[in-house]
Amino acid sequence: MSRPSRLIDENGKRVDGRRPDELRPIKMEVGVLDKSDGSAYVEFGGTKVIAAVFGPREAHPRHLALPDRAILNCRYHMTSFSVEERKPLGMTRREIELSKVIREALETVAFLEEFPRAAIDVYVEVVQADGGTRTAGLTAASLALADAGIPMADLIAAVAVGKVDGQLVLDLCDLEDKYGEADMPVAMAPRFNSIVMLQLNGRMTVEEFKKGLALAKKGIEVIYRLQREALKKKFSEISPEEV
Amino acid sequence: MPVYFSEHEIVVPGQLLSDNGKRSGEGTYAHGGKIYAARIGFASIKDNKVVVTPFKAAYKPAPGDWVIGIVSDVKPNGFEIDLGRHLKGIIRIPDREEVISTGLNVGDVVYVRIKESGLSGVVIDKRSRIKRIESGILIQIHPAKIPRLIGRRGSMINLIKRLTGCEIIVGKNGFIVINGPSPEAEFAAIKAVKMIEEEAHTSGLTERVEKFLRELVGGAEALGP
Repeated sequence: MSRPSRLIDENGKRVDGRRPDELRPIKMEVGVLDKSDGSAYVEFGGTKVIAAVFGPREAHPRHLALPDRAILNCRYHMTSFSVEERKPLGMTRREIELSKVIREALETVAFLEEFPRAAIDVYVEVVQADGGTRTAGLTAASLALADAGIPMADLIAAVAVGKVDGQLVLDLCDLEDKYGEADMPVAMAPRFNSIVMLQLNGRMTVEEFKKGLALAKKGIEVIYRLQREALKKKFSEISPEEV
Repeated sequence: MPVYFSEHEIVVPGQLLSDNGKRSGEGTYAHGGKIYAARIGFASIKDNKVVVTPFKAAYKPAPGDWVIGIVSDVKPNGFEIDLGRHLKGIIRIPDREEVISTGLNVGDVVYVRIKESGLSGVVIDKRSRIKRIESGILIQIHPAKIPRLIGRRGSMINLIKRLTGCEIIVGKNGFIVINGPSPEAEFAAIKAVKMIEEEAHTSGLTERVEKFLRELVGGAEALGP
């Protein structure tokens, strides 16, 4: 898609009709796959992501296993059909970087020392990309990890903030990401108010950065609530005496 | 002890459970003097500790657990036992002659007790005799479903044993060996075990398993050799 003449119209509405501090419609479902130990599907508007977790299982190759804790492997991947122009198979530099960033964020919350010598594999597959895939991926990955029964300190909720036509906006879509002035994905473990991932593309003043971070926190609170609801919903039909 | 959950409430990782950090039990962790949930499950108080009984959890070896494993390696000083997933148990036998005299070989299925589990690995208790399982069908289910398979005071497992006439050995790590008088009886028992695994979270399961087995085998008498 080409650049629209304006990203924010005279009424202060964005290209997809949202207010600057409005999130896209969010959908979350836990336990969507049978063969994995834990899985989750997350949708932020047009961005659709599936995450699957396997493990704890044997670490391969064996020499990578650690004697005192599990290793966490993460693969962030975009399907060929997730973008308008076919994405070639294989991992691009960008995907390798995002895999690392997601892995490092997850490592801060998972209690890996519970499973010495084991490996936990996290797969994040982007089904459709419309901006904010790493944040949606991380949100889904933490749900899948919790679904797999891996002990963790907190869930991770993530969202991007950015600057578009000189204005701070929450949860950027693809157009805003491409043609805006700045894009800042933020991931947090909301329980302890700790930031587990933060990247910034473009330019922001210190003042804008602070305001943007506060805006991201507001969005993260909403996402965190939806995550907890989605998790509880999956197991809601279980009655206590059965466990 | 002030708590922030109702009995048997479903809790999720990161949820605040109590202000008394000293009472942190299984499935929880303490941080800054407070207790939080580490897993999805039912929160409750057991032995004056806050615990979360998880819905899903990998098997974690504990001393005293009886497990079923497959001998994966024979070494001069003992055996290595595959306990499923990433878990390896070790049987240490200092004398080489003794290793040979046990008669165990790679691929043998054994029923053993765990002595200790830690950074040095999972060590098998030698004193409580290593039982070699001679025959039967080895199947695997999710370890979290084992308590449901056994049932209250063994009610569920005894029901299957009674109705199919099979001998069933259950390992806490999710391995199960079924040994029956006929292939039909073994097949019925496997179907019942798989049914329990799939429907573990539903109520009235015992009755359904009983009905299912009665329809399938018409009682143990019909299955005699």
